[in-house]
Amino acid sequence: MLEFLRFGVFTFGGGWSIIAQMQQLYVEKKKVITSQELLDLTSVAKSLPGTMIANVAMLYGYRVGGILGGLTCVFGMCFPPMAVLIAISFAYNAFRQNPWVHAAMSGMQAAVVPIILCAALGLAKGSVKYPPCLLVVVACLGIYLFTSVNPVLLVVLGVVSGLVISGIYERREAEKHGAA
Amino acid sequence: MVLLKLYWSFLLIGFGSFGGLSMIPQISNQVISNGWMTVNEVTDIVAIAEMTPGPLGLNCATFAGMQAAGIFGAVAANLGVLTPTLTLCALAAICFQKFKDSRLMQRILVGVRPACFGMVLGVLISLSMSNYISAGTLRLPSLAIGIVDSVLLLKYKISIPKILLLSCGAGLILFGVLHLA
Repeated sequence: MLEFLRFGVFTFGGGWSIIAQMQQLYVEKKKVITSQELLDLTSVAKSLPGTMIANVAMLYGYRVGGILGGLTCVFGMCFPPMAVLIAISFAYNAFRQNPWVHAAMSGMQAAVVPIILCAALGLAKGSVKYPPCLLVVVACLGIYLFTSVNPVLLVVLGVVSGLVISGIYERREAEKHGAA
Repeated sequence: MVLLKLYWSFLLIGFGSFGGLSMIPQISNQVISNGWMTVNEVTDIVAIAEMTPGPLGLNCATFAGMQAAGIFGAVAANLGVLTPTLTLCALAAICFQKFKDSRLMQRILVGVRPACFGMVLGVLISLSMSNYISAGTLRLPSLAIGIVDSVLLLKYKISIPKILLLSCGAGLILFGVLHLA
Protein backbone atom coordinates (compact mmCIF):
# COMPACT_ATOMS: atom_id res chain seq x y z
CA MET A 1 0.00 0.00 0.00
CA LEU A 2 2.69 2.46 1.02
CA GLU A 3 4.67 1.37 -1.99
CA PHE A 4 1.78 2.31 -4.22
CA LEU A 5 1.60 5.74 -2.61
CA ARG A 6 5.21 6.13 -3.62
CA PHE A 7 4.47 4.98 -7.17
CA GLY A 8 1.69 7.54 -7.29
CA VAL A 9 4.06 10.33 -6.32
CA PHE A 10 6.63 9.33 -8.91
CA THR A 11 4.48 8.54 -11.92
CA PHE A 12 5.80 10.98 -14.39
CA GLY A 13 5.30 10.42 -18.06
CA GLY A 14 2.26 8.23 -17.95
CA GLY A 15 1.59 4.70 -16.88
CA TRP A 16 4.66 3.12 -18.36
CA SER A 17 6.98 4.49 -15.72
CA ILE A 18 4.79 2.73 -13.11
CA ILE A 19 5.49 -0.50 -14.93
CA ALA A 20 9.17 0.35 -14.73
CA GLN A 21 8.93 0.95 -10.99
CA MET A 22 7.06 -2.29 -10.48
CA GLN A 23 9.68 -4.11 -12.53
CA GLN A 24 12.43 -2.64 -10.36
CA LEU A 25 10.72 -3.20 -7.02
CA TYR A 26 8.54 -6.30 -7.34
CA VAL A 27 10.37 -8.30 -10.00
CA GLU A 28 14.03 -7.54 -9.36
CA LYS A 29 14.19 -6.62 -5.70
CA LYS A 30 11.39 -8.40 -3.87
CA LYS A 31 10.70 -11.10 -6.45
CA VAL A 32 6.96 -11.10 -5.71
CA ILE A 33 6.11 -11.65 -9.37
CA THR A 34 8.11 -12.58 -12.47
CA SER A 35 8.69 -10.25 -15.39
CA GLN A 36 6.40 -12.51 -17.42
CA GLU A 37 3.58 -11.98 -14.96
CA LEU A 38 4.13 -8.25 -15.05
CA LEU A 39 3.83 -8.32 -18.85
CA ASP A 40 0.64 -10.36 -18.53
CA LEU A 41 -0.89 -7.88 -16.10
CA THR A 42 0.12 -5.00 -18.34
CA SER A 43 -1.49 -6.58 -21.38
CA VAL A 44 -4.74 -7.23 -19.55
CA ALA A 45 -4.70 -3.69 -18.13
CA LYS A 46 -4.04 -2.17 -21.52
CA SER A 47 -6.87 -4.05 -23.17
CA LEU A 48 -9.54 -2.94 -20.69
CA PRO A 49 -11.15 0.49 -20.77
CA GLY A 50 -10.09 3.07 -18.21
CA THR A 51 -6.72 4.30 -17.07
CA MET A 52 -4.00 1.74 -17.64
CA ILE A 53 -2.13 2.25 -14.40
CA ALA A 54 -5.22 2.10 -12.25
CA ASN A 55 -5.98 -1.18 -13.99
CA VAL A 56 -2.46 -2.45 -13.37
CA ALA A 57 -2.77 -1.46 -9.72
CA MET A 58 -6.05 -3.37 -9.47
CA LEU A 59 -4.65 -6.48 -11.17
CA TYR A 60 -1.47 -6.52 -9.11
CA GLY A 61 -3.32 -5.80 -5.87
CA TYR A 62 -5.75 -8.63 -6.57
CA ARG A 63 -2.90 -10.99 -7.41
CA VAL A 64 -1.21 -10.22 -4.08
CA GLY A 65 -4.09 -9.58 -1.72
CA GLY A 66 -7.49 -10.28 -3.27
CA ILE A 67 -10.17 -7.68 -3.92
CA LEU A 68 -9.20 -5.64 -0.86
CA GLY A 69 -5.60 -5.63 -2.03
CA GLY A 70 -6.77 -4.41 -5.42
CA LEU A 71 -8.79 -1.57 -3.94
CA THR A 72 -5.94 -0.48 -1.66
CA CYS A 73 -3.48 -0.40 -4.53
CA VAL A 74 -5.83 1.62 -6.73
CA PHE A 75 -6.47 4.20 -4.03
CA GLY A 76 -2.82 4.27 -3.03
CA MET A 77 -1.88 4.95 -6.61
CA CYS A 78 -4.52 7.61 -7.20
CA PHE A 79 -4.45 9.60 -4.02
CA PRO A 80 -1.08 11.40 -4.40
CA PRO A 81 -1.69 12.72 -7.92
CA MET A 82 -5.13 13.88 -6.87
CA ALA A 83 -3.77 15.73 -3.84
CA VAL A 84 -1.03 17.33 -5.96
CA LEU A 85 -3.46 18.44 -8.64
CA ILE A 86 -5.91 19.87 -6.11
CA ALA A 87 -3.07 21.92 -4.67
CA ILE A 88 -1.96 23.01 -8.13
CA SER A 89 -5.42 24.04 -9.21
CA PHE A 90 -5.42 26.67 -6.46
CA ALA A 91 -2.20 28.20 -7.73
CA TYR A 92 -2.83 27.33 -11.34
CA ASN A 93 -1.66 30.54 -13.00
CA ALA A 94 1.45 30.92 -10.89
CA PHE A 95 2.33 27.31 -11.59
CA ARG A 96 1.79 27.53 -15.30
CA GLN A 97 4.07 30.49 -15.81
CA ASN A 98 6.83 29.79 -13.32
CA PRO A 99 10.13 29.21 -15.19
CA TRP A 100 11.58 27.16 -12.32
CA VAL A 101 8.69 24.75 -12.48
CA HIS A 102 9.27 24.38 -16.19
CA ALA A 103 12.99 23.80 -15.70
CA ALA A 104 12.41 21.09 -13.10
CA MET A 105 9.74 19.43 -15.21
CA SER A 106 11.91 19.42 -18.34
CA GLY A 107 14.60 17.67 -16.33
CA MET A 108 12.19 14.97 -15.18
CA GLN A 109 10.80 14.59 -18.66
CA ALA A 110 14.28 13.73 -19.85
CA ALA A 111 14.33 10.87 -17.33
CA VAL A 112 11.21 9.15 -18.62
CA VAL A 113 12.85 7.45 -21.60
CA PRO A 114 15.72 5.89 -19.58
CA ILE A 115 13.17 4.68 -17.03
CA ILE A 116 11.03 2.97 -19.64
CA LEU A 117 14.17 1.62 -21.34
CA CYS A 118 15.11 0.02 -18.05
CA ALA A 119 11.67 -1.60 -17.81
CA ALA A 120 11.82 -2.76 -21.43
CA LEU A 121 15.15 -4.52 -20.85
CA GLY A 122 13.73 -6.25 -17.82
CA LEU A 123 10.56 -7.28 -19.61
CA ALA A 124 12.42 -8.54 -22.69
CA LYS A 125 13.48 -11.71 -20.87
CA GLY A 126 10.03 -13.13 -20.39
CA SER A 127 8.48 -12.08 -23.64
CA VAL A 128 9.83 -14.40 -26.33
CA LYS A 129 9.19 -18.10 -25.82
CA TYR A 130 9.51 -19.35 -29.40
CA PRO A 131 11.47 -17.66 -32.21
CA PRO A 132 8.37 -16.50 -34.16
CA CYS A 133 7.43 -14.40 -31.14
CA LEU A 134 10.12 -11.99 -32.29
CA LEU A 135 8.03 -11.40 -35.40
CA VAL A 136 5.10 -10.47 -33.19
CA VAL A 137 7.30 -7.95 -31.36
CA VAL A 138 8.41 -6.35 -34.62
CA ALA A 139 4.90 -6.35 -36.10
CA CYS A 140 3.36 -4.71 -33.03
CA LEU A 141 6.16 -2.17 -32.83
CA GLY A 142 5.59 -1.23 -36.47
CA ILE A 143 1.84 -1.05 -36.13
CA TYR A 144 2.12 1.01 -32.96
CA LEU A 145 4.51 3.52 -34.51
CA PHE A 146 3.04 3.94 -37.97
CA THR A 147 -0.69 3.64 -37.45
CA SER A 148 -3.01 4.89 -34.76
CA VAL A 149 -4.93 1.69 -34.14
CA ASN A 150 -6.36 0.95 -30.74
CA PRO A 151 -3.92 -1.00 -28.54
CA VAL A 152 -6.66 -3.55 -27.94
CA LEU A 153 -6.22 -4.68 -31.55
CA LEU A 154 -2.55 -5.33 -30.87
CA VAL A 155 -3.49 -7.49 -27.92
CA VAL A 156 -5.99 -9.35 -30.11
CA LEU A 157 -3.25 -9.88 -32.67
CA GLY A 158 -1.14 -11.26 -29.83
CA VAL A 159 -3.92 -13.65 -28.78
CA VAL A 160 -4.31 -15.03 -32.30
CA SER A 161 -0.60 -15.38 -32.95
CA GLY A 162 -0.13 -16.95 -29.53
CA LEU A 163 -2.68 -19.64 -30.35
CA VAL A 164 -1.13 -20.28 -33.77
CA ILE A 165 2.50 -20.29 -32.65
CA SER A 166 2.00 -22.50 -29.61
CA GLY A 167 -0.25 -24.76 -31.67
CA ILE A 168 2.54 -25.33 -34.18
CA TYR A 169 5.29 -25.76 -31.61
CA GLU A 170 3.29 -28.06 -29.36
CA ARG A 171 2.45 -30.30 -32.31
CA ARG A 172 6.09 -30.40 -33.32
CA GLU A 173 7.13 -31.42 -29.86
CA ALA A 174 4.44 -34.07 -29.76
CA GLU A 175 5.69 -35.45 -33.11
CA LYS A 176 9.24 -35.56 -31.83
CA HIS A 177 8.12 -37.56 -28.85
CA GLY A 178 6.08 -39.80 -31.11
CA ALA A 179 9.10 -40.45 -33.37
CA ALA A 180 11.37 -41.17 -30.44
CA MET B 1 -26.55 17.52 -8.93
CA VAL B 2 -23.35 18.82 -10.39
CA LEU B 3 -21.50 16.06 -8.54
CA LEU B 4 -23.63 13.37 -10.16
CA LYS B 5 -23.12 14.97 -13.52
CA LEU B 6 -19.36 15.08 -13.03
CA TYR B 7 -19.36 11.45 -12.00
CA TRP B 8 -21.45 10.44 -15.00
CA SER B 9 -19.40 12.42 -17.54
CA PHE B 10 -16.13 10.97 -16.32
CA LEU B 11 -17.63 7.52 -16.11
CA LEU B 12 -18.40 7.80 -19.84
CA ILE B 13 -14.86 9.03 -20.49
CA GLY B 14 -13.46 6.12 -18.50
CA PHE B 15 -15.44 3.44 -20.29
CA GLY B 16 -14.92 5.01 -23.70
CA SER B 17 -11.16 5.28 -23.61
CA PHE B 18 -8.03 3.28 -23.11
CA GLY B 19 -5.94 5.73 -21.17
CA GLY B 20 -3.29 8.22 -22.10
CA LEU B 21 -3.60 10.73 -24.88
CA SER B 22 -6.52 8.85 -26.42
CA MET B 23 -8.67 10.29 -23.65
CA ILE B 24 -8.14 13.94 -24.54
CA PRO B 25 -10.76 14.37 -27.27
CA GLN B 26 -13.43 12.83 -25.07
CA ILE B 27 -12.39 14.79 -22.01
CA SER B 28 -12.43 18.07 -23.88
CA ASN B 29 -15.84 17.25 -25.37
CA GLN B 30 -17.40 16.59 -22.00
CA VAL B 31 -15.86 19.43 -20.00
CA ILE B 32 -16.42 22.06 -22.67
CA SER B 33 -20.02 21.11 -23.44
CA ASN B 34 -20.80 21.16 -19.73
CA GLY B 35 -19.13 24.54 -19.30
CA TRP B 36 -16.64 23.28 -16.71
CA MET B 37 -13.57 24.42 -18.64
CA THR B 38 -12.77 26.59 -21.67
CA VAL B 39 -10.80 25.37 -24.68
CA ASN B 40 -7.71 27.20 -23.44
CA GLU B 41 -7.99 25.66 -20.01
CA VAL B 42 -8.17 22.22 -21.58
CA THR B 43 -4.93 22.86 -23.46
CA ASP B 44 -3.24 24.08 -20.29
CA ILE B 45 -4.48 21.23 -18.17
CA VAL B 46 -3.21 18.69 -20.66
CA ALA B 47 0.23 20.31 -20.41
CA ILE B 48 0.06 20.39 -16.61
CA ALA B 49 -1.32 16.87 -16.39
CA GLU B 50 1.64 15.65 -18.41
CA MET B 51 4.14 17.42 -16.16
CA THR B 52 2.70 16.35 -12.82
CA PRO B 53 2.64 12.84 -11.40
CA GLY B 54 -0.29 10.60 -12.12
CA PRO B 55 -2.08 9.51 -15.24
CA LEU B 56 -3.55 12.07 -17.57
CA GLY B 57 -7.15 10.96 -17.16
CA LEU B 58 -7.09 11.25 -13.39
CA ASN B 59 -5.38 14.60 -13.51
CA CYS B 60 -7.90 16.04 -15.94
CA ALA B 61 -10.71 14.65 -13.81
CA THR B 62 -9.29 16.30 -10.71
CA PHE B 63 -8.87 19.61 -12.44
CA ALA B 64 -12.27 19.70 -14.11
CA GLY B 65 -13.92 18.57 -10.87
CA MET B 66 -12.18 21.32 -8.92
CA GLN B 67 -13.32 23.93 -11.44
CA ALA B 68 -16.91 22.72 -11.36
CA ALA B 69 -17.51 21.90 -7.72
CA GLY B 70 -14.37 22.11 -5.57
CA ILE B 71 -12.79 19.17 -3.79
CA PHE B 72 -15.95 17.05 -3.77
CA GLY B 73 -16.20 17.64 -7.49
CA ALA B 74 -12.66 16.38 -7.90
CA VAL B 75 -13.47 13.25 -5.90
CA ALA B 76 -16.66 12.61 -7.89
CA ALA B 77 -14.87 13.00 -11.23
CA ASN B 78 -12.02 10.72 -10.13
CA LEU B 79 -14.45 8.04 -9.00
CA GLY B 80 -16.08 8.30 -12.41
CA VAL B 81 -12.82 7.74 -14.28
CA LEU B 82 -11.95 4.88 -11.95
CA THR B 83 -15.28 3.08 -12.25
CA PRO B 84 -14.18 0.84 -15.17
CA THR B 85 -11.15 -0.18 -13.11
CA LEU B 86 -13.20 -0.87 -10.02
CA THR B 87 -15.76 -2.96 -11.89
CA LEU B 88 -14.56 -4.43 -15.20
CA CYS B 89 -10.94 -4.69 -14.25
CA ALA B 90 -11.74 -6.22 -10.87
CA LEU B 91 -13.74 -8.89 -12.69
CA ALA B 92 -10.91 -9.40 -15.14
CA ALA B 93 -8.46 -9.76 -12.25
CA ILE B 94 -10.57 -12.52 -10.73
CA CYS B 95 -10.92 -14.37 -14.04
CA PHE B 96 -7.29 -13.93 -14.95
CA GLN B 97 -6.00 -15.40 -11.70
CA LYS B 98 -8.42 -18.31 -12.09
CA PHE B 99 -7.54 -19.20 -15.66
CA LYS B 100 -3.94 -18.12 -15.97
CA ASP B 101 -2.60 -21.63 -15.52
CA SER B 102 -4.97 -23.20 -18.02
CA ARG B 103 -3.47 -24.52 -21.25
CA LEU B 104 -5.49 -22.19 -23.42
CA MET B 105 -4.44 -19.12 -21.43
CA GLN B 106 -0.80 -20.22 -21.56
CA ARG B 107 -1.00 -20.48 -25.35
CA ILE B 108 -2.66 -17.09 -25.65
CA LEU B 109 0.00 -15.49 -23.47
CA VAL B 110 2.77 -16.82 -25.71
CA GLY B 111 1.56 -14.28 -28.28
CA VAL B 112 0.26 -11.56 -26.00
CA ARG B 113 3.57 -11.09 -24.19
CA PRO B 114 5.59 -10.22 -27.30
CA ALA B 115 2.72 -8.02 -28.52
CA CYS B 116 2.82 -6.08 -25.29
CA PHE B 117 6.60 -5.90 -25.42
CA GLY B 118 6.38 -4.48 -28.95
CA MET B 119 4.06 -1.82 -27.61
CA VAL B 120 6.52 -0.91 -24.85
CA LEU B 121 9.23 -0.49 -27.50
CA GLY B 122 6.85 1.67 -29.53
CA VAL B 123 6.15 3.91 -26.56
CA LEU B 124 9.89 4.13 -25.96
CA ILE B 125 10.62 5.27 -29.49
CA SER B 126 7.81 7.78 -29.75
CA LEU B 127 8.69 9.26 -26.35
CA SER B 128 12.36 9.58 -27.35
CA MET B 129 11.29 11.52 -30.40
CA SER B 130 9.09 13.91 -28.45
CA ASN B 131 11.33 14.35 -25.40
CA TYR B 132 14.70 14.83 -27.05
CA ILE B 133 13.81 16.46 -30.33
CA SER B 134 11.95 19.73 -30.54
CA ALA B 135 11.17 21.54 -33.78
CA GLY B 136 13.54 19.31 -35.73
CA THR B 137 16.61 19.85 -33.57
CA LEU B 138 18.12 17.65 -30.90
CA ARG B 139 17.78 19.03 -27.38
CA LEU B 140 21.29 18.33 -26.12
CA PRO B 141 20.79 19.14 -22.41
CA SER B 142 17.80 16.78 -22.24
CA LEU B 143 19.73 14.12 -24.10
CA ALA B 144 22.62 14.52 -21.66
CA ILE B 145 20.29 14.03 -18.69
CA GLY B 146 18.82 11.02 -20.45
CA ILE B 147 22.20 9.41 -21.02
CA VAL B 148 23.38 9.98 -17.46
CA ASP B 149 20.09 8.58 -16.14
CA SER B 150 20.42 5.48 -18.33
CA VAL B 151 23.88 4.76 -17.00
CA LEU B 152 22.78 5.28 -13.40
CA LEU B 153 19.73 3.07 -13.87
CA LEU B 154 21.28 0.24 -15.84
CA LYS B 155 24.77 0.12 -14.42
CA TYR B 156 24.36 1.29 -10.85
CA LYS B 157 20.74 0.18 -10.31
CA ILE B 158 19.71 3.49 -8.75
CA SER B 159 16.03 3.47 -7.80
CA ILE B 160 13.56 5.25 -10.05
CA PRO B 161 12.34 7.86 -7.53
CA LYS B 162 15.98 8.86 -6.92
CA ILE B 163 16.52 9.13 -10.67
CA LEU B 164 13.53 11.45 -10.96
CA LEU B 165 14.76 13.66 -8.11
CA LEU B 166 18.24 13.83 -9.64
CA SER B 167 16.82 14.74 -13.03
CA CYS B 168 14.63 17.36 -11.43
CA GLY B 169 17.76 18.91 -9.90
CA ALA B 170 19.62 18.66 -13.19
CA GLY B 171 16.71 20.37 -14.93
CA LEU B 172 16.74 23.22 -12.42
CA ILE B 173 20.46 23.75 -13.01
CA LEU B 174 20.61 23.28 -16.79
CA PHE B 175 17.37 25.01 -17.75
CA GLY B 176 16.77 27.30 -14.78
CA VAL B 177 20.22 28.58 -13.81
CA LEU B 178 22.15 28.18 -17.06
CA HIS B 179 19.18 28.89 -19.34
CA LEU B 180 20.02 26.19 -21.86
CA ALA B 181 17.13 25.56 -24.17
